[in-house]
Amino acid sequence: MTDAPVALGTREPAEQVAAVAAGRRENLIQASFQILGIGTFYVLILVFFAFATPNFLTYSNTLNILSNVTVIGLVAGGQVLTIISGGFDLSVSGVVPLGAVTFALLTNAGVVTVPAILAVLAVGGLVGLCNGLIVTRLGINPLITTLGTLSITTGLAYTLSRGVTIPFRNPAAGVLADRTVGGLSWYVLAFALASVIAFAMLRYTVFGRMLYAIGGNRDASRLAGLRVDLLTVLVYMLCSMMAAFAGVVVSSQLLAGSATVGADAALSSIAAVILGGASLTGGVGGVPGTLIGVLVLGTISNGMALMQVPAFYQQIATGVILLLAVGFGRLRAVLSGDSS
Amino acid sequence: MADQHVLLETHEISKSYGSSRVLSNVNFRLDRGESVAVIGENGAGKSTFAKILTGVIRADVGTLALNGRVVSFASPRDALREGIAFIPQELAYMPHLTVAENILLGRWPSWRGLTTRGAAIKQARAECEQFHITMDVRRPMAWLKLADRQIVEIVKALARRARLIVLDEPTASLSDQESRVLFDILGRLTTEGVGVLYISHRMDEVYRFSDRVDVFRNGELVASVPPSRTSPAQLIGYMLGGEREDVSQSARGSRLTAPGLAELRQWRRDGLPPLSDVSLSIAEREVVGLYGLRGSGTELIAEGLAGLHPEITGELVVGGYRGRVFATPVVARRAGVGYVPAERKREGLILPLSVEANLSLLILDQLSRFGAIRRRLERGRAAELARRFDVRFRRLGQRVAQLSGGNQQKVLLASRVAMAPRLLVLQEPTRGVDVGARVEIHRFLGTIAERGCGVLLVTSDLEEAVAVSDRLLVMREGRIVGELSSANRTQANAIALAAGSSAVMASEP
Repeated sequence: MTDAPVALGTREPAEQVAAVAAGRRENLIQASFQILGIGTFYVLILVFFAFATPNFLTYSNTLNILSNVTVIGLVAGGQVLTIISGGFDLSVSGVVPLGAVTFALLTNAGVVTVPAILAVLAVGGLVGLCNGLIVTRLGINPLITTLGTLSITTGLAYTLSRGVTIPFRNPAAGVLADRTVGGLSWYVLAFALASVIAFAMLRYTVFGRMLYAIGGNRDASRLAGLRVDLLTVLVYMLCSMMAAFAGVVVSSQLLAGSATVGADAALSSIAAVILGGASLTGGVGGVPGTLIGVLVLGTISNGMALMQVPAFYQQIATGVILLLAVGFGRLRAVLSGDSS
Repeated sequence: MADQHVLLETHEISKSYGSSRVLSNVNFRLDRGESVAVIGENGAGKSTFAKILTGVIRADVGTLALNGRVVSFASPRDALREGIAFIPQELAYMPHLTVAENILLGRWPSWRGLTTRGAAIKQARAECEQFHITMDVRRPMAWLKLADRQIVEIVKALARRARLIVLDEPTASLSDQESRVLFDILGRLTTEGVGVLYISHRMDEVYRFSDRVDVFRNGELVASVPPSRTSPAQLIGYMLGGEREDVSQSARGSRLTAPGLAELRQWRRDGLPPLSDVSLSIAEREVVGLYGLRGSGTELIAEGLAGLHPEITGELVVGGYRGRVFATPVVARRAGVGYVPAERKREGLILPLSVEANLSLLILDQLSRFGAIRRRLERGRAAELARRFDVRFRRLGQRVAQLSGGNQQKVLLASRVAMAPRLLVLQEPTRGVDVGARVEIHRFLGTIAERGCGVLLVTSDLEEAVAVSDRLLVMREGRIVGELSSANRTQANAIALAAGSSAVMASEP
């Protein structure tokens, strides 16, 4: 490709440069506008609970919220990738307990923490590989595929644990929960790190851009010669690995592995991603929005617990908020004349 | 001609979309038992006319009289109630229901709210037999071949006592044998007094089956003659009009072309549409046009070059690639083929993404280091591409969905040119774009070729095919039936070849 222009544009170069500069500015505004709605909403929630309950706005409760959202946050960090790429993953609800049980069994068998974590990640990667291959090779849609693997992985977790909770024989295995850095548990830091990596990957790498492309228009991406199938498999693997790591965190928190943990992972993570501005049709969404979505869900359940509202009402509230948020998003899209 | 023979008559029908007039003052008449073929170029108004007759759309002015009575249809359902049935190109049926259920759709014989299968089958069979059509009415519609589904749709219309059947290009996707069967059936209907109006693109079937040919041009009904009293050349003359020929020649003279850059050898595909031994070559700096009617196989060549038809057998040479037909789009892209698909929104652009991201999509490897996109570089490159292709936008971060059709098409074209392809394959590059953008895109194709790229332009737009290409290949029924270069590259010759009447070649100046 030489640099000789194919055709001279009618637009003056200076004008074009100005348009580019303005574009950079407005791009930022647009990106922040996407999370502005949910951000405002989150601030309102914070204000409400701050007035409603005295113990809410304290340092220890803030830490509490953070550690409570870590598991769903990690899962949502993977989920947002699959949703942006045009799929989604229900099997995380099975992979979290499978990861937790596997980690407990491995550490009880005397495996050191780091290799145990790596092994759990490999298990997660394997599940994701299956998901990705079934979706791309057999052409079965993500809903059915991951519903199937959800059942399989949940069953595996129960089988491996024989249906009982497996306490850590060696309490040092709870290293992720016990040790803190500057008052924050390791897993909160791991969550923060994972979020930063996911954010950078989506925004600044070719891989991330490809995910937006295949989610935005799968057919067009395929026709253009992008490696749609490979990317799809990779994204399911990443998602499952995040979920498996979330399983490690859960078992560290509980000092035990159990097949009963994480059953709400799929629904909560999808809810958080959607609250954060993503679309189930793919191509839209991001990590900052997802994080706020996760915080909204975590803060509501925390605040309501402090107000001594029974847990079932929290579920109802979460559902109503999800529908309201998505409903407002649709309304805004319709009002701005953008039907897609 | 006594008046009781007249089945349908239109008086001064006109229709406009915005400022563009698609039909003006059409006076048309069709008698009982008459079969009329309607022909004309793309955009001549044939389909619009058929849709007005059948209640799909309404005319702005003019009247429609059926059996001497003025009628007005608000919907196809209204038209059907009066006895006019429309068989569109894209059939609408229930694939999972049986033939019998489709034929009797909405009128299933029932007994106290329960459908009675036996009675339905018996009744559907009777409807078929009435017109000597043999068909297993118990099979699900989805199992039938396209041709048979079409016949079911006709029986369905007849079961509702249709007196006039309007078909939009019924044979476009049928084999020769299947078309013959279809016309046999339609012929039998006319002897029973049913009127048949069908839109056609094929000369042979106009002559094989029609009492009269009506020619549309630019929204006007310009000729109405029995085929026995006209020649294919004359019909083509009516379709194109006299004054168009001189503007159709390309402004670009014959260019010195290098030896073959891309070569297709013996491309073959069974099934519909078929390809039989298509070979062609494209030189560096050359714009080769490929023109053909629907179902002629031109789109298969384009899609095959994009890696979408691994089932095509044959050989292919493109730049450094030498081997079988591309197995996947990834292979095609690596071999240096840039593909601009026909359906810009569905197959081409990533609508939720920005103009910038769409422009840089295929060159991200050049714009990144260790997998990280260099945003400044990307923005610069996108801005440069946008400038070169004169894309009008408010800002690069704007979503491509918000651009006009012409600008979207320019973004798509620019994104493919950006990858510096050896061969650029375009399908219907100016469909649905405004006139200004159309002219610009045509100009871009010339400049792209001049910089050493081969261009294959696959189009069903006759004017475009003749005006833009250096060399025009015409396909019919899966074969290349002619090559038109400088002197004989006229719209009349192209359409004659595509429609299957070689008679015209000699009569051209």
